[in-house]
Amino acid sequence: MPSYKLTYFNGRGTAEIVRLVFAAAGTEYEDVRLEQDQWPELKPNTPMGQLPILEMDGTMLCQSNSIARYIAKLAGLAGKTPLDQARVDMVMDGMVDMGNKFAYEIYYEKDEDKKAEKKKDYVEKYVPQFFSSLNKLASDGGYFAGDELTLADIAFYNMTTMVNPYLEQPLSLDGFPKLQKVEDNVTSNPGIAKWLKERPETPY
Amino acid sequence: GVHCGACRKMSVYELHYFNNRGRAEPARLLFAAAGLPYRDIRIQSEQWPEYKLKLPMHQVPVLEVDGTMICQSVAIARYVAKVTGHAGKTDLEQAKVDMLVDGIDDVMTKKGDYVWHEKDETRKMEKKTAFYETTLPQFLSHFEKLLRTNNGGDGFLVGEGLTHADAWFLCLADDILLDFPDIFSPYPKLAALVERIRTYPGIKEWLAKRPQTPF
Repeated sequence: MPSYKLTYFNGRGTAEIVRLVFAAAGTEYEDVRLEQDQWPELKPNTPMGQLPILEMDGTMLCQSNSIARYIAKLAGLAGKTPLDQARVDMVMDGMVDMGNKFAYEIYYEKDEDKKAEKKKDYVEKYVPQFFSSLNKLASDGGYFAGDELTLADIAFYNMTTMVNPYLEQPLSLDGFPKLQKVEDNVTSNPGIAKWLKERPETPY
Repeated sequence: GVHCGACRKMSVYELHYFNNRGRAEPARLLFAAAGLPYRDIRIQSEQWPEYKLKLPMHQVPVLEVDGTMICQSVAIARYVAKVTGHAGKTDLEQAKVDMLVDGIDDVMTKKGDYVWHEKDETRKMEKKTAFYETTLPQFLSHFEKLLRTNNGGDGFLVGEGLTHADAWFLCLADDILLDFPDIFSPYPKLAALVERIRTYPGIKEWLAKRPQTPF
């Protein structure tokens, strides 16, 4: 069993999906959290000058979703068949889109009026429509693929909880009963429940 | 079901997109490289408002496999790569392919932001300049270095053969070369890689016959 070392800053950010997968998989890893002044020295030695990175057996992987998929795959959490794996991947990618839309249109918007308008649109139009699509993709039992917990379910929980702190109120799952089940399945997974209780409290 | 050589030839593949290369082209390149037949559906814009309602996330591309719909361009390309043996040989190789694809996807998303989403002309030019002066050179120098770690950089991006990372890279290259034909001059291994992918059996023929579209 290789030793895994995950390096990121001291926050949830883009590393949290990996930490959640490690938790669900019950896989041990070293959770390295860098101070900002430690980053410049490490940066040129990373594949794309970014964090998170995963180191194991002398190999370095980057890109949070690729790392998450790799660890999930080893633990059987990435989908059992190629089509199930594609379903997992498409939901993950959809969640990335939802996060990117928030980042590009709202978080990085300097004009306060535009920002408020975009936020309203995001919460009142975009998210309900997207959640409606996702609700159709989830099973009655609350799983996006293969009727058991996969990386897709974890990605859903992770991204919704990532944008929530930046909104006036948390995104509502009212009217999306299957998505509520997805969230419940994720938070009640024993490994994830334990991690959610024990993880460091950080501003992001 | 199990995907065996015989089974996959019997599956029916339909790729739904607009009449562009855009985010469907990596999958088209992979189908071409494998000589795997598929229906290359190109939607007319008038059809779009009704068409999108049938799609899982109201977006294209969508790959239909024997009636099951998969969306999201990266997920689709990875699936086609798996079916055609171009996804990477081991779990670790697949992860390396995936991380390179994510890197390319990030850059394409950044470009898409100023091309399609930024409406203010001044901001658009500022973002375009930042893209070509900072984002792209940083990305290309990382990739030149990563390519060189794979057998000296004279093959493909990961492992021994073509993977979906190479398909994505050609699509990005085609796009950026339109704006800056000399963009690869500082990156000789990447320039050679682009030619290697362009002349790959199956891809070469597809490039010659594919619909010519501006993007």
